[in-house]
Amino acid sequence: MSPIRLMAANDWRLMARSRVAQLALLMLLALAAVAALTAIAHRDHSNDLRARFQAQADQDFDGQPARHPHRMVHYGHFVFRPLPALAGFDPGVDAFTGSTIFLEGHRQNSANFGDVRQSSLLARFGQLSPAFVLQVLAPLVLIFIGFGLIAAERERGTLRLLRVHGRSAGEVLRGKLLALAGIAAVLLLPACLALAWLTVSAQAEPVAAVLLTIGYAGYLGLWVTGVVTVSALTRSARGALMALLGLWAVTTILVPRIGSDVALRMAPLPTRLETDIAIQRDLHRIGDSHNPDDPHFAAFKAGLLARYKVSRVEDLPLNYRGLVAMEGERLTAGLFDRYAEAQFARQRRQAEVVNGLALLSPAVAVRSLSMALAGTDLEGHRRFLRQAEAYRYTIVQGLNRLQAEAVTYVDDGNRNSDPEAARRVRIDPRHWHDVPDFTYRSAGLGERIRAAAPGAAVLAVWLVLAAGALGLAARRLGRDL
Amino acid sequence: MSLWSHELRLFLRQPLAAPLLALLLLLASASVWAGLAEITRQHAAIDRILPQQAADEAAVAAWATREGDAGNVAYYTHYATWDRPSPLAFAALGQRDVAPFVLRIRALALEGQINESEAYNAELALPGRFDWAFVLTYLAPLFIIVLLHDLVSSEREGGRLLLLTVMARSETALWVRRVVLRVGLVILTLVLPLAVGGLLSGAGQPILGMAGLAAAYAVFWALVCVAVGRFRLASVTSAATLAAVWLIMTLVLPGLALLAINAAVPVRQGVELTLAQREAVHAGWDKPKEATLAAFFREEPAWRDTAPMRSGFHWKWYYAFQHLGDLSVAEQVRAYRAGLERRNALSGRIGLLLPPVGLQMVLHRLAETDLVAQLTYQDRIRRYHRELRHFFYPFLFREQPFGPADFARAPRWRDSADTPRPPRPGA
Amino acid sequence: MMIESDPDHPLDPVIDLSGLTLRRGPRTVLADLSLQVGPGEIYALLGGNGAGKSTTLAVLLGFLAPDSGVARVAGVDPAVAPDQARRQIAYLPESVALYDQLTAHENIAYFMALAGSEPGPDIIDAALDAAGLQSEARTRRVGGYSKGMRQKVAIAMAVLREVPVLLLDEPTSGLDPRATADFNALLGRLKARGTAILMVTHDLLGAADCADRIGFLAGGRIVEEVRPAEGIDVMALHHRYGEVAAA
Repeated sequence: MSPIRLMAANDWRLMARSRVAQLALLMLLALAAVAALTAIAHRDHSNDLRARFQAQADQDFDGQPARHPHRMVHYGHFVFRPLPALAGFDPGVDAFTGSTIFLEGHRQNSANFGDVRQSSLLARFGQLSPAFVLQVLAPLVLIFIGFGLIAAERERGTLRLLRVHGRSAGEVLRGKLLALAGIAAVLLLPACLALAWLTVSAQAEPVAAVLLTIGYAGYLGLWVTGVVTVSALTRSARGALMALLGLWAVTTILVPRIGSDVALRMAPLPTRLETDIAIQRDLHRIGDSHNPDDPHFAAFKAGLLARYKVSRVEDLPLNYRGLVAMEGERLTAGLFDRYAEAQFARQRRQAEVVNGLALLSPAVAVRSLSMALAGTDLEGHRRFLRQAEAYRYTIVQGLNRLQAEAVTYVDDGNRNSDPEAARRVRIDPRHWHDVPDFTYRSAGLGERIRAAAPGAAVLAVWLVLAAGALGLAARRLGRDL
Repeated sequence: MSLWSHELRLFLRQPLAAPLLALLLLLASASVWAGLAEITRQHAAIDRILPQQAADEAAVAAWATREGDAGNVAYYTHYATWDRPSPLAFAALGQRDVAPFVLRIRALALEGQINESEAYNAELALPGRFDWAFVLTYLAPLFIIVLLHDLVSSEREGGRLLLLTVMARSETALWVRRVVLRVGLVILTLVLPLAVGGLLSGAGQPILGMAGLAAAYAVFWALVCVAVGRFRLASVTSAATLAAVWLIMTLVLPGLALLAINAAVPVRQGVELTLAQREAVHAGWDKPKEATLAAFFREEPAWRDTAPMRSGFHWKWYYAFQHLGDLSVAEQVRAYRAGLERRNALSGRIGLLLPPVGLQMVLHRLAETDLVAQLTYQDRIRRYHRELRHFFYPFLFREQPFGPADFARAPRWRDSADTPRPPRPGA
Repeated sequence: MMIESDPDHPLDPVIDLSGLTLRRGPRTVLADLSLQVGPGEIYALLGGNGAGKSTTLAVLLGFLAPDSGVARVAGVDPAVAPDQARRQIAYLPESVALYDQLTAHENIAYFMALAGSEPGPDIIDAALDAAGLQSEARTRRVGGYSKGMRQKVAIAMAVLREVPVLLLDEPTSGLDPRATADFNALLGRLKARGTAILMVTHDLLGAADCADRIGFLAGGRIVEEVRPAEGIDVMALHHRYGEVAAA
């Protein structure tokens, strides 16, 4: 056996005999198992529930009786955001975003019923998931097991003994690295099993699972290097423990929170209410279908009459009311898109601020990498919002088109006074069947990998820095002994 | 020189003591500042909205009252509601970042409107906010652990323990003095910024409650440190043990408790009632109008003598089936709400066992930023919605013309009486 | 408190151990140990490792209670009222550890305050003079002190205590000959003040220099007692002491 392997094996033997190491490792493995089981079960259950609700909403929509198409525009539709398979590993922001949106004409509703609003403050303590265990708890276990690897040997004087036996400081450090890396590998194991299970049971992409494993291996590797470095640089074991605990608290607990506050201050978001009002105001400016003298709709009407070479809207081959509804929807939807994109841009600016802070905290970097690869980041939710809006526009315009084509202008005008007209404007319910169901297209693997790249880059920078610090520690250790 | 000042000098001369206290003071002050800035922002958002809302209403009023039909006005006018942060909210921002504090409603069916969300950045909400409650709940115990984990073991390891016990007139008094001094300084460091924040936000006496909680929580952690100290562990082992206790109490057990509570009390009624309410409201179009109105009059007998419906459309029938839509899911609304309250109550019970959870629950109750506060706001919205409906009903059912002057008489949302508007810092 | 000392006819003993027996598991650490030290008397307890020296001190300080027998310190049973007993005792540990971040003055002021008295700076200075600590060192933090300097600080504290009993644990180990001589002189002054002094040591020569009586401890009991004043054969004792310690 090489001397490095030999030293690592000796450390493993010591760890196996240390009650603290045993306890820490066992507790974490138990927690990781609980986290994996519950996160996967929760994901499966939520996804099933949402699929069931979606099926019910589709069925409700298709089962509507004969109706005026515009009534269907207001009846609207519900869409539910399915949970990606890897949400069983990292639920990301799922609990913080609504999972369902009510889609209707003229309005853009919010996604509602996020778990956090439906929970007590307990939800703010953090959700136990394999990702949380690896991001927050595993580094602590590495600290507990590893802080004394060198510092305690120095205190006991056994470090000198190793040197007397001809081992260089570099070899000692590499032995310790190997020993602690072995522990990190054990910590990673339950997460790997969870990922493997998700690829088998829920068709998670194996590539994403492998990349997640690599990402977390890098993150834990960073902590392994950091723990060994600090243990080598500090005079006492207690000093090493204090320094590492401080480092942990700052990077995993403090910086992410401060990051949120800084981002919110640097790029504040307007409230929904303000956005609603602004959209109404803009709409009023562009074209107000309620105003008979509105220039936009006057021009729209004139254009139609000219195109079909008629003088009255009654003579149009299509129902003028339906056409107006389509034009109105086109205007509002354009505004919805514009405001939504502005909102998304602001959110992205906030994310950039947070990512900038990831330079201070590898935990932030690995979190963003993990959510991106799992497809549970905010971008995933934004995809859902965009697709939901596109779907809303499609079905509303489809229904408006039905109003224009299948309902006559005269009947439409008399539907409240003439019972026969009222019967005729209620069109065949088979049309509701023809409206396509909503299918959420999740982000492709390439897209998710691109989204994960910044986090991976920051982690890589950290790894290089940590390796540099370790080299420094090796030189110091060589001098001291 | 009294023993206390001797102890203080001894403590402050320790290499880590003064920097640690300074750091904690800095963090606590920064958190109070951040909290004050956040509630200032929330007040500013509400103030910003008021003129915009007035302009929006004026625009609707300009055309909707033209025909004198109250139905149009009620349909197109969105009425603003808001929930100002309490003067104590700066210390514990709680759920105010994920629950809306401004919401517009119409006199239509309410259940489809009341659960609307705010447009917040979920990735920022995920780690939580940096407020005083966070510093107290999570960081203060770490500081206490650093200051107290080696209370006795450092003397033992330094070889002074024997001399100390022989010299001290009372050994117990010696350790009590040292613990009290350290914890007292930590409490002071935490409470001072809070008190300043409380003065700035006009929080008044309830701030004493928060300060008391902080003291009790600090004492709890000091007792944990003392209890672990009784095992006569080496300083380094006792630091590791205490850090593990902290981890389990603040992160692991609350996480497990959340899983258990959410599994024990499912609240899918929220989605279910929304789906059901839409069905009920829209089915109203196809039901016989007389039956709809008869059902409505059973709830609102005052309008029973309205003129009978002709065929076709009438707003009074429309608003009647809107309201009936709400009523049809009243049972589910109650169940949903009961589920939320049950989750909160169970969390409170967990709080009796887990001081960090208990502390958060009580702090946020005092600050009125918890789930209960969210539900209270919803209750106020429900009352206001009822007021709005009843404001429009005479115009609809008695067919009174609705003029611009009537528009101005619509009930307005008011700041709730129990949270008087505080003088705002930096305003 | 000036008491005329007469080692041959001790007044009421200040330190009074009678029939102390203490077992630790199967091992008997103290076996019917009896020992009296009167006011103004210096008693040296000699013994090898495990002879029961430290245990005897621990009993006097109230850290261990004997299984049978009674210890009294100025009339107080430390097993019954340890705090009260300790108030009668000044104690000099084998290796003196102080607060490194405080000066000698501050250390003494602090420990004296713990013991319930607040000597002024002049009094502390006088005690440090008596202990022989150079005055330029007194305002430095004790972190940089040598073992001897630390010991002087502790001796100054013992002087300041003005209590009837002084317990010394290997007081001269690690001191150079000159410091040892200073120390013996200081003991002489305390003795003159009427303090009952009990030292445990394995340094026969040192003990012979200052003690009124020397008791040899082995197997938890005193196997021989001598009075250096009556003239003793140190070499013979040394020879025997080695045998006793080995027994």
